[in-house]
Amino acid sequence: MIQDMIASTRQAFSDELVELASEDSRIVLVCADSVIALRATAFADKYPDRLFDVGIAEQNAVAFSAGLAASGLKPFFGTYAGFITMRACEQIRTFVAYPHLNVKFVGLNGGIYGGEREGVTHQFFEDLGIMRSVPGIEIVVPADAGQVRKATRAIAQREGPVYLRIGSGRESVIFDESMDFEFGKARVLEQHGADASIFTNGPILKRVLQAAQQLSKEGIKTTVVEVHTLKPLDVETISDVLRRTGTAVAVEDHNIIGGLGSAIAEVIAETMPVPLVRIGLQDIYPISGEAESLLDYFGMGVKDIAGAVKKAIMKRDKLNWEKAKK
Amino acid sequence: MTKKNIEHLTEMSRLLRRDVVTMVHHAGDGHPGPALSVADIVTALYFDIMKFDPSRPDWPGRDRLILSKGHSCPTVYAALARLGFFSEEILPSLRSLGSILQGHPDMNKTPGIDMTTGSLGHGIAVGAGMAAASYLTGEKYWVYVITGDGELNEGIVWEAAQTAAHRHLSSLVVFVDHNGFQSDGPLAEVSGLVAIPEKFKVFGWHVQEIDGHNFTEILQATKRAQSERDRPSIIVAHTIKGKGVSFMEGDNSWHKRVPTADELKTALEELGGSQ
Repeated sequence: MIQDMIASTRQAFSDELVELASEDSRIVLVCADSVIALRATAFADKYPDRLFDVGIAEQNAVAFSAGLAASGLKPFFGTYAGFITMRACEQIRTFVAYPHLNVKFVGLNGGIYGGEREGVTHQFFEDLGIMRSVPGIEIVVPADAGQVRKATRAIAQREGPVYLRIGSGRESVIFDESMDFEFGKARVLEQHGADASIFTNGPILKRVLQAAQQLSKEGIKTTVVEVHTLKPLDVETISDVLRRTGTAVAVEDHNIIGGLGSAIAEVIAETMPVPLVRIGLQDIYPISGEAESLLDYFGMGVKDIAGAVKKAIMKRDKLNWEKAKK
Repeated sequence: MTKKNIEHLTEMSRLLRRDVVTMVHHAGDGHPGPALSVADIVTALYFDIMKFDPSRPDWPGRDRLILSKGHSCPTVYAALARLGFFSEEILPSLRSLGSILQGHPDMNKTPGIDMTTGSLGHGIAVGAGMAAASYLTGEKYWVYVITGDGELNEGIVWEAAQTAAHRHLSSLVVFVDHNGFQSDGPLAEVSGLVAIPEKFKVFGWHVQEIDGHNFTEILQATKRAQSERDRPSIIVAHTIKGKGVSFMEGDNSWHKRVPTADELKTALEELGGSQ
């Protein structure tokens, strides 16, 4: 991890989009009074006729995008994550995902990291669960700005709807720029050992890596898996890690219902039964505050993650002991 | 616009109406009232106004039709079958397992359907997107939308009305099938929807009002709409729900109701002919 460097996931998305637009004339941008929020003024300046700002009207923006896509264009629609996935949920489902139209959605303010001081109306921690339940839409949650650039390029090459979750624009740099991004592949990031597995995605990965290092010093050797593509889920890699570690923790900047933790629980239940501890918003509403302190406040601190790993190991050991007793 | 042409359209709409009541009877489910009110507009569009190629339903240069009031789809299915997009033998399979004719239009299952619809209120927004796209892709086509009047209750209609006018989308032509009823009853009683032409006027649209069962008026209004160069057009077509079948006309219980065998027989007798 590169310490103390900040880079904007919003800027990264928009920079990459400008580049993509220069390569493919079918790429257009749809906004809902969100050009500035998306850091997309460079796109607006360079491609004014390829920008469709429909004003504060997200349902309209999605249906409009469906019309663009049905006529041969490749629209990216970006605004705040909840205004896409909640306000325009039905438009996404019925007019984009069901007819499999090539619209990409870019949700800002993902999680508490994304929404932080804004308060609940602008903190979005249900988006992934909502999108995951819609058939035919792919979901990507990159960890930092460099990964957002690569993810943006990767999803532009996919045919059909994709939801890309990004943040506030103040994200820690986690990866070296050379780090690749392979769509659809869960990344086994650090293999301290096989005492437990930690699954995570998005900027909270930073905290997971810190927790894993701390645990390693204490002699608890974990395997960290970054599930940046939440759908389609890389069940094979996840199952493999679950088999090797025998217990799991899921860490997500999202409600614990519907997102990564649920996805891992589904894999566990169907392919590789092991204990699981879920770290995330515990089905409650957050409050305003500075991002890092908020995450600590809501039980997503490095300490909490480390504690969850210990708890997961205890659960596994208890199960093993009970099995042995029989 | 020849007399012969009007006679042909009149005959085609009669056939489509026969198809509609027959299909809904066989399906055991569907919306005959709104499918009949829209029949003349659908006929004029498919059998006179629009350019398309049934052998190439996805031809990029074709005119588009978005049936925003997707529940009226039996009329469009009948038109597409009679135009050769698919066999007329498929029509009785409406709404049944494995049929390409879904309960509401599906652009990926039915050749000739330009947009998946059924959830009300979305036709103008999607149509605006299609019209906007033509300026970038260079394909020249008209985008026709048929919206119900009841679905103008939806907020997205007015979001899209603003967008289409703001972006000067003159290739967008919207018909309102203004039969005066929504599912729960008359518009004015249920939702308070009034002054449709005035509302679109202040949104900056070119607005016309016509008799939606008069082919001469439908064709003339379309021509006038097409001569607009700077703004989208809306044609508020006054229609009768259930038009063509006396016991369905103006009886809103036929919004969604299946004619019995006897009722079907009477309806077909009234519509005349045997095809």
